[in-house]
Amino acid sequence: MIGWFLRGISSPRVTTRYPRGDEPPPPGFRSRALLDPAAVAAEDAERLAAVCLPGALTVDYHGALVLDANRCIGCGLCVEAAMPRAVAMDSRYELAARKKERLRVDGVTREADLAPDPRLLGLPFRRSLHIRHVDAGSDGAVEQEIAALLNPYYDMQRLGLFFTASPRHADVLLVTGPVTRPMEAPLRRTYEAMPEPRVVVAAGTDACSGGIWTAPEVLGGVDRVLPVNIYIPGDPPAPIALLHGLLLAVGRVREASAPRLTGEATA
Amino acid sequence: MIPLEERRCDGTDLAVEIERIGGRLMMLFIALGAEQAHELCALVKEGNRVIWLCGSLEGRSYPALTPSVPAAHWFEREIHDLWGVVPQGHPRLEPLVVHRSGDGDLPLPADEELGGGHRGAQRLSGPGVFVIPYGPVRSGVFESVQFLVQTGGEDAAYIAQRLFFKRRGAERRICEVPLELAVLVAERVSGTSSVAHALAFSHALESLASPEVPPRARAIRRVLAELERLYNHLEVTVRECEDASLAVAQAQFAALKERLHRLAGTVVGNRYLRGAIAPGGTRVDLDVSAADLISSTLADWEHDWRRALGVLLRTDSFLDRLVSAGPLSEGDARDFGCVGPVARGSGLDLDTRRDMSYDGYDEVPVARHHDGDAMARMEVRFQEVETSLELVRAALASLRAGPIRSELGPFTREVALGAAESARGEALYWVQADGPRSLRCCKLRAASFMNFGVFNRVFDAQVLTDFAFIEHSFGLSPAGCDA
Repeated sequence: MIGWFLRGISSPRVTTRYPRGDEPPPPGFRSRALLDPAAVAAEDAERLAAVCLPGALTVDYHGALVLDANRCIGCGLCVEAAMPRAVAMDSRYELAARKKERLRVDGVTREADLAPDPRLLGLPFRRSLHIRHVDAGSDGAVEQEIAALLNPYYDMQRLGLFFTASPRHADVLLVTGPVTRPMEAPLRRTYEAMPEPRVVVAAGTDACSGGIWTAPEVLGGVDRVLPVNIYIPGDPPAPIALLHGLLLAVGRVREASAPRLTGEATA
Repeated sequence: MIPLEERRCDGTDLAVEIERIGGRLMMLFIALGAEQAHELCALVKEGNRVIWLCGSLEGRSYPALTPSVPAAHWFEREIHDLWGVVPQGHPRLEPLVVHRSGDGDLPLPADEELGGGHRGAQRLSGPGVFVIPYGPVRSGVFESVQFLVQTGGEDAAYIAQRLFFKRRGAERRICEVPLELAVLVAERVSGTSSVAHALAFSHALESLASPEVPPRARAIRRVLAELERLYNHLEVTVRECEDASLAVAQAQFAALKERLHRLAGTVVGNRYLRGAIAPGGTRVDLDVSAADLISSTLADWEHDWRRALGVLLRTDSFLDRLVSAGPLSEGDARDFGCVGPVARGSGLDLDTRRDMSYDGYDEVPVARHHDGDAMARMEVRFQEVETSLELVRAALASLRAGPIRSELGPFTREVALGAAESARGEALYWVQADGPRSLRCCKLRAASFMNFGVFNRVFDAQVLTDFAFIEHSFGLSPAGCDA
């Protein structure tokens, strides 16, 4: 055991300072797509929607391209198919929002509707959170990203965030997966076992919207079963993305912005 | 490309045929033949050949294979669930894949008799015997799976595992989405084995259309596949350290794992290497700076890994818990068709990278162990980490300028099998073409489907507190098994 003691004290400190310091993603990281609806020609809209497997890019009945970041898996196929400046990949980790609508971009919605909610308050918790995780049909990678929050790089306990085994002790229900039919009842029962107030967080693109999966095997997102308070898209969401979403529940960070491609975003 | 040796027979003779061939049952499934007729198909690996046995089915039943071929156990229940075809004489035809009751509860299994002297499921009775239902929502961050532990207190007398809580219909999705997007579904079957599943599926499509995969793409594929193996083996190590309450060891190995994910995020843009593989080649190129980053990162990484592993292998409180825990005999591993580190830890000599050589793999040394316990499975993984590092170095050295992808082209064959060795073992995709550009049928089988089937057979004379060590030494992926 002395060996571990020596290994421990000789290892450098690697923990991120997030959210007080910045944690930039690597340059080519693909977290979600960004869209500039005005830059997409009508004849391109159908073609771009056709390469989007989860249906994040769709054509509305005016013929305009619409992007729903809740569905985006960050595969980057749209960028390969599009004219430059119309679609680009976002590399930012912070993707979470309290309302699904804020993660959508279309040509019709007014700019004011898309602005992130400037309020920090709104949910009942202020400091420490106890989190109960439920897997409702994920691909297994989200669980590993959640478990990574305990590794020395992220160390979420320094922020007062803890996992708890019993839903009776939990403030947050962290749900992954598109909700398969056999998991619907266990998910509901876990939620009902939690004391109020409680917050439901959908972690990952498939939990936010069903992602690439469809009926009849899956219900298509956690909000088909439970009231969801925070959406964290991502396939899978990186640990910083999960931290951002969880800290949103205690009002320590601000919501992500809409996936709108503006001048400063990198292509 | 894997050449399939097609043999036709009557569905009622399939068991006899498989026994006569004497190989390993890779898959058993129903395919639609001419005029939508049901055909019972078995893929059997014998030596270096894959034999595709195709049995015609008269009516809705056939004599079950399970009594003579235990590896068919779950496949036959799956066939019964999905097609309503009855394997007559199957020891336990309860629902497996499809959950009949919506509430997630499972009745205890009835007693069953398996052939070949194997102990089947049992229902225990006696003073003090009780059942611990563990899952699908378990304590900690785990994937959904249920274990029903029948115990009298200390011994884990009999464990029944219940899966398919996570069935998302991947096979259906692969067939119904546009062909060029289907690989994205395969990547998400088992999210931590994205590369292996994308490769196995791509190999299947490449067999149908026979494009020439450029040498540069094959080298990149090897680099990414081995990178994926590294972080999966690290995940198992982290979990075992957590079970042994070795906080520093857990932190050290978790940090090593995180460094691999950061490397993946930098070179591919996704921490689980998604979006890198495409049928016909790769989508991601490794330029000089990316290749340099991988080799320099892994050089530092290897140094730290060796030091941490050295301490771990001298930590008695770790070794005490793993040595002799959950022994799987070589006979059980063979009869139930185990694959990957689970099979190799019990002495089986199999590795898809060598046996069905693909993407320029050759002469891959196969790490084996004969003890069959949790420690043997870990030792196999530790040796495979060394091999993977070596393979990454060799693949990076073999990178030559050239294209990374060739056009897939129209399908020229009708059926094909694709395989790849994931960190958990052999991943298989069997596909049937429907015209030149679409799929009619896809049957996939992740490594965990085979290894989960044998999981409850290693608890003889084991105490309940060893459960976590044994479970994690199997390194199972419920997402892959359930698909």
